[in-house]
Amino acid sequence: MQNSFSPHIFSRFQPLKNTLVYDCFSNGQNGWMALMPNFTQAPDFDTRKSVVTKDQWPPVMLSSATYRYPGTHGALSGNYSLKISTRPIAGRYEDIPVPGSMGHAIKRMTFHNPNRKRLQFEMWFSYTAEQDRVRGDEDLAGLSENAIRAFGAGFDIQERGNRYFSGIRYLNSINGDITKKWQYISASEVTDNQWAFGTDGDWCKRGVDPQWYGQRYADGSHDGFKDLPNGSQQLCYNETDCKINWIYFRFLIDTQKREYVEFQAQDRVFDMEGIPITLIDPYKRIDGLLNPLIWVENDANRTVFLYVDSVLISQD
Amino acid sequence: MRQFNAAPLELKKQFKESFQTHPFEAGWASEAIFFIMVEDVSGSNSQLLAEVEISHDGFNWAYEGSVVGPIYEKGLNFIKVSCFGNWLRLNCKIEGDNPGFKLLVQLALKE
Repeated sequence: MQNSFSPHIFSRFQPLKNTLVYDCFSNGQNGWMALMPNFTQAPDFDTRKSVVTKDQWPPVMLSSATYRYPGTHGALSGNYSLKISTRPIAGRYEDIPVPGSMGHAIKRMTFHNPNRKRLQFEMWFSYTAEQDRVRGDEDLAGLSENAIRAFGAGFDIQERGNRYFSGIRYLNSINGDITKKWQYISASEVTDNQWAFGTDGDWCKRGVDPQWYGQRYADGSHDGFKDLPNGSQQLCYNETDCKINWIYFRFLIDTQKREYVEFQAQDRVFDMEGIPITLIDPYKRIDGLLNPLIWVENDANRTVFLYVDSVLISQD
Repeated sequence: MRQFNAAPLELKKQFKESFQTHPFEAGWASEAIFFIMVEDVSGSNSQLLAEVEISHDGFNWAYEGSVVGPIYEKGLNFIKVSCFGNWLRLNCKIEGDNPGFKLLVQLALKE
């Protein structure tokens, strides 16, 4: 596998002063892996019971984006991207995410700068649905854009006295109806029980893991996300599911103020100055945790894919 | 230094019927080993046969020729594969009287 690192690649990113991560997936998987439950229970490293089944999110992989008709699409920086996929099974939007209906990648690190302020996530990505079947005989029956419900990226952080999640998702389709708007992570004023879909004793607290926790409602609202003001955007989704275009994504938070600052997708910049981040009491053992997250969710019984060419995480 | 990655295809999951593992792109690697850890077996006359399949698009699949099994008991099993192009999966066939296999399936890739 060739080394695709080159300083000129940074010209398509906008890093802050200190680059923490530059992962180009033509160089390898760089520590990104599927998220899975904690194997901590008796008798044989079993998992704690949870209302959300997390051991069916598929493995992430290095993809050449190879399809039936065009063959290999490749990536932006080389031949390989990190692919996050679902299994071909979905529930309705307002239901608890069913096992396998999401895919999720995570990288695990910790903070190192005691004077840290801003933190930024950038990536070049693309997304598509599997060309597995044609719906009928109407025009464009073989185009399945509305099989992709949502995808997003964010941070799971615990530092200076709080755990908190920040991030942005693109809500592409709700039960088959194209929506195409951005939402940011922000928890509604609900109880831990409500956050875990009416379950007492689920290990998760309100605000943690909004990728799959938090009640969803048929109009697209969500107890874990809020609509980004003026956040409708028609991302570039090509005319057939086997043509993928690489898209720029960037969001910036202030870890001192605990606020969002800015978000960018393609060439559009959204001001998020002053939007608060939901703060949670710290969990045991994980002070300093800095975990970048990327996920995708399907909206039909079809596999959907999120490809990430490269990720740059920086701070100042 | 050589590249290596082990991907968890199934995690301690209880299977009672035949199944196929999640389609996996492995084009960057020249060596592959499917590890099949059988953590538990239930039912009677239960047996598991795992066949390697390859694909040009990740949706249509053909039998590659490598197979392991039949497997009857707990323990670690594996299949080595090379010359597979890009897409790989296992077609796992389960038979028996009320059969059950608790499996951990891992795909180890090396270049």
